[in-house]
Amino acid sequence: MNNRQRFDAAMHYQPRDRSPLQNFSFWAETLTEWRKQDLPEWVTLGNHTDFFGDDGGFEKFSIARSSSTGNAKPSDKGWVCAADLTIGWEPRFEEVVIEDRGEHELVQQADGVRVLRRKYMSSIPLHDSHLLVDRASWEKHYRPRFDPSTASRYPEDWKPYTTFWCDQGRDCPMFLPGGSLYGWIRNLMGLEAVSYVVHDDPAWFEEMVTTIADCIIGVLERVLACGARFEGCGIWEDMCFNGGPLLSPAHFKRFLVPHYERITSLLHKHGCDVIWVDCDGCIDELIPLWMDAGVNCMMPIEIGTWGADPVRYRREYGKDLLMMGGFDKHILADSTRAIEAEVDRLTPLIEEGGFIAYCDHRVPPDVSLEHYLFYTQKTRERWGGGVNLNPMADEAIALCGVHAR
Amino acid sequence: MSDLGPLTQAIKDGDRGAAEAQTQAAIDAGTSAQDILSALTDGMDDVGRRFKAAEIYVPNVLIAARAMNVSMALLEPQLVKEGIEPSCTVLVGTVEGDLHDIGKNLVAMMWRGAHFGVVDLGTNVSPDDFVKAAKETGATLCGLSALLTTTRSAMRTTIEAIREAGLTDLKVIVGGAPITQEYADEIGADGYAPDAGSAVEVARSLANV
Repeated sequence: MNNRQRFDAAMHYQPRDRSPLQNFSFWAETLTEWRKQDLPEWVTLGNHTDFFGDDGGFEKFSIARSSSTGNAKPSDKGWVCAADLTIGWEPRFEEVVIEDRGEHELVQQADGVRVLRRKYMSSIPLHDSHLLVDRASWEKHYRPRFDPSTASRYPEDWKPYTTFWCDQGRDCPMFLPGGSLYGWIRNLMGLEAVSYVVHDDPAWFEEMVTTIADCIIGVLERVLACGARFEGCGIWEDMCFNGGPLLSPAHFKRFLVPHYERITSLLHKHGCDVIWVDCDGCIDELIPLWMDAGVNCMMPIEIGTWGADPVRYRREYGKDLLMMGGFDKHILADSTRAIEAEVDRLTPLIEEGGFIAYCDHRVPPDVSLEHYLFYTQKTRERWGGGVNLNPMADEAIALCGVHAR
Repeated sequence: MSDLGPLTQAIKDGDRGAAEAQTQAAIDAGTSAQDILSALTDGMDDVGRRFKAAEIYVPNVLIAARAMNVSMALLEPQLVKEGIEPSCTVLVGTVEGDLHDIGKNLVAMMWRGAHFGVVDLGTNVSPDDFVKAAKETGATLCGLSALLTTTRSAMRTTIEAIREAGLTDLKVIVGGAPITQEYADEIGADGYAPDAGSAVEVARSLANV
């Protein structure tokens, strides 16, 4: 089986040679730490799959890079399917360093938000100020940027992409970007401000969500017109924290669900039936609402301190809920015994189907390379069954041998 | 004394217009600043309780705190006139290496709502800066926040720095997504707050106010 067939089979509870072996990537400082533990210099965030031998992160199979524009062409390794396609705001704002503050820098991002970020660490930056503060700034800076007819959001030459997407023999799954209905707005104006808008001016909030949904749908319609069947679509929200959702379920239902339904209906019409939402934090209260709206897959099932558990979710929602992720990254910092126990615990669910397990977020730097290699070996054995696996790099195999001694 | 029930309700509802009107009416009626303050903190306490019980959500806390701020701006001169000071001084900050501020801000809002004197040190606060601020302010409590497992270890170094500086009376409360009671115990924190609502209860208990 190839990656495409394997993903399809896993997500439709059909027989397969093995489970897809995915990853959620790593923090940059994790690789820095691992270099001190003999990780070869050539291994980067862009090519770690060649070292660890998994099937690659899902972004490898996405046809666009979230809200920004990918530069890769159909022939570029690792971005085989990425088009010059933007589903979010377009054109992007100029990325500028406004002020150098030693270890930190004040930056205007491509979304127009000014953030303070560490130069040498890759954690989430601190929002400093936002262009989106009121209706006038929405009209001036953002509403025009969510126009699906903007030519620059599409490739000049569709042919190489559509040919590839429509190729019946294509061996990799293809995933559509599903945008974001709340997460983008929250990022563009900050949590506090968006919370006030929902309370003070719900009509405006609704207008922003509708504009963004119209844009997402407009772009997807244009892509789907090529006739390709895409294997999945990923929506990004990150709208939960350890205590639950950042927007009340009532507001979620009122403002977001109708537009999720529009998006998922369109996708289903074109045969795309694996639709996931990427949301960290405690998602328990939102899962049933997303499912009612046609979103049928959760990722990355962050385990956290709130006790999320893919096994429990399967018990609660049955096979209607597909899942990806769900391996507690903190276990990787614990012991090899704990890692093996968790791999074994999740194996029956993986074998049942509808669940592709990988770490519940980027692997943090407190995880040793030795433990991550142990995890890799165990998952290749138990979830991969040793069948049709991508090769690990020789250096990785050698390091496994050293650790085994 | 005027009926302060509607003021408490305005805070619970996050209705800043009503909060402003009710506060002004109470002041005009000659209600003592302490009674008005109690009405406000009662409202925020209720918000904290319901947030802790997951009956309300982050936006409800934010709009309640905003209404509280409107009322406090009117009440502040009365508090000064009557010599009413915050029940204790508390420091709050996100530990070194961590730039996240949402959780820390929520706790600061709830502590202000309980009429603590909050000194917000911001994000990426070094252990030395916590110690320096504690000495300068004579704070009773110190709240440490972290979002990432990669940065939570800075809580331990901050607590060590506080203890080494001889600030034995300063109680330290920790919280954040990757923090558990077990971890709080392990690093020697005096208290653990799983959410912003709990942070008020834990702080009151540790500060005896």
